[in-house]
Amino acid sequence: METRIRILLLSLVALECSGCALFHRQAKPDDSATASSDSDSNAPPPTVIDPQVERRNIKVPTIHPSNVEIGAYYGELSIQDFGAQPVAGLRLDYHISEDFFAEATYGRAKAGFTSFETLSNIQLLSDAERRFTYYNLSLGYNLLPGEVFIGRNLAMTSAFYLIGGIGSVKFAGDQNFTVNFGAGFRVLPTDWLAIHIDVQDLVFRSDVTGVEQLKNNLQATIGASVFF
Amino acid sequence: MELSITTTPSTRRWLNDVAPLIAAALLALLAAWPAHARDHLQLFVVKPYLELHTGPGRGYPVAQVVARGEAVDVLMRRTEWFKVRTERGVEGWAYERDLAQTTLADGTPFKINLGDRAGFTSHRWESGFFGGAYEGATLISAYQALSLTDHLKVELTASQFLGNLSNGYLIDLGLSHVFMPEWRISPFVTLGGGYERIEPKATLAQPLSANNQTAYVGVGLRYYLARRLFLRGELREREVFTSQNSNEVKNEWKLGFAFFY
Repeated sequence: METRIRILLLSLVALECSGCALFHRQAKPDDSATASSDSDSNAPPPTVIDPQVERRNIKVPTIHPSNVEIGAYYGELSIQDFGAQPVAGLRLDYHISEDFFAEATYGRAKAGFTSFETLSNIQLLSDAERRFTYYNLSLGYNLLPGEVFIGRNLAMTSAFYLIGGIGSVKFAGDQNFTVNFGAGFRVLPTDWLAIHIDVQDLVFRSDVTGVEQLKNNLQATIGASVFF
Repeated sequence: MELSITTTPSTRRWLNDVAPLIAAALLALLAAWPAHARDHLQLFVVKPYLELHTGPGRGYPVAQVVARGEAVDVLMRRTEWFKVRTERGVEGWAYERDLAQTTLADGTPFKINLGDRAGFTSHRWESGFFGGAYEGATLISAYQALSLTDHLKVELTASQFLGNLSNGYLIDLGLSHVFMPEWRISPFVTLGGGYERIEPKATLAQPLSANNQTAYVGVGLRYYLARRLFLRGELREREVFTSQNSNEVKNEWKLGFAFFY
């Protein structure tokens, strides 16, 4: 009996102590708060909220613009008086709107021989002078946009366009101001790939064959380009 | 044909060694570019419906509509058209003015720069090319401008001139100030400097090619045409600092097309 009472008393004491400690701990912040507000106003203000959550930086994805087209082409260039020769070039296009695009091209070919040269065996131009190099800055207009169908399941967007511009031709040891104009057809098998077929006339004034006259140089090419 | 193909050892080496490398690099670029994964912007239709065309142009038929409350992912932009994918996986092209009436996920309106008069007034980049004359020689010129403000732009211009006596190149860096960018016809002044390279024609007995520093002042007009396209004309007076006793003053005019983006 006595031991049982002793255990009861001891457990009561233990409970009392722990309860006091708990109460003391809870009461402490209140005490300090009242003490600080009562005693002096110079103390730093209490921090009410201290969030430990990192702010999430939400980034809105940007839209990928795909208006620039870079590609290469190959075909035949008929250099007036010097025969038709293979031509290869690079193109850079910027699609300004659904109707208009700007195009810069750079092409190279090597002129053949005039009939006079072939018959007389006299060369009018040196090997280096025979190199036909040009660049053009053009504005194009998508005259007939449309779709091309292959079979029942494949539709590809396309456009027949007109193009014209200015540039320069380096040929026969001279640089010539050139006007270019023509038409082309562009078909897009995918959104990022375009196949071009172009026919253009490069016109410049030259006296390479003795008399100064307008030289028409017709070019037909096929090319591929990638949209970026 | 036979005469035009002359393969020297160096060109053959080039064809054997360099060309396959370039081709491989291009192929790798082609393969990698479209597969490049990116997050897509999600937009919500708040008007009764959003029309999706089969191609990026006004004439392509409307094949799908997205109902109010549904979302689309914007895959890419080509000129005034946006390729979008619906929640059901259907892809089509939406017109920019239609897409400007959608909202972002938080309900704020989706804003885009349209190719219109407001864009002509205020844009970041512009490019263009011109034809003209430089001291009697025919001039071909192209420029790229970066807008610091709606009024003030930094301009880089590259030109080639082709004359009877000499050909040459000009490269200029300058500033231009547009007075009334919101006007359809807006005047501007420009100021800058650069280099002139003159290459006298081989047929004439003249001094060798020369590189000269130059400085210029100019005035011009911009005329808004439509969408992102405008006309631009310009007069420049150029002081060429030669190695001779006196400097030369040369005049230049040019007219051409330009576009902003």
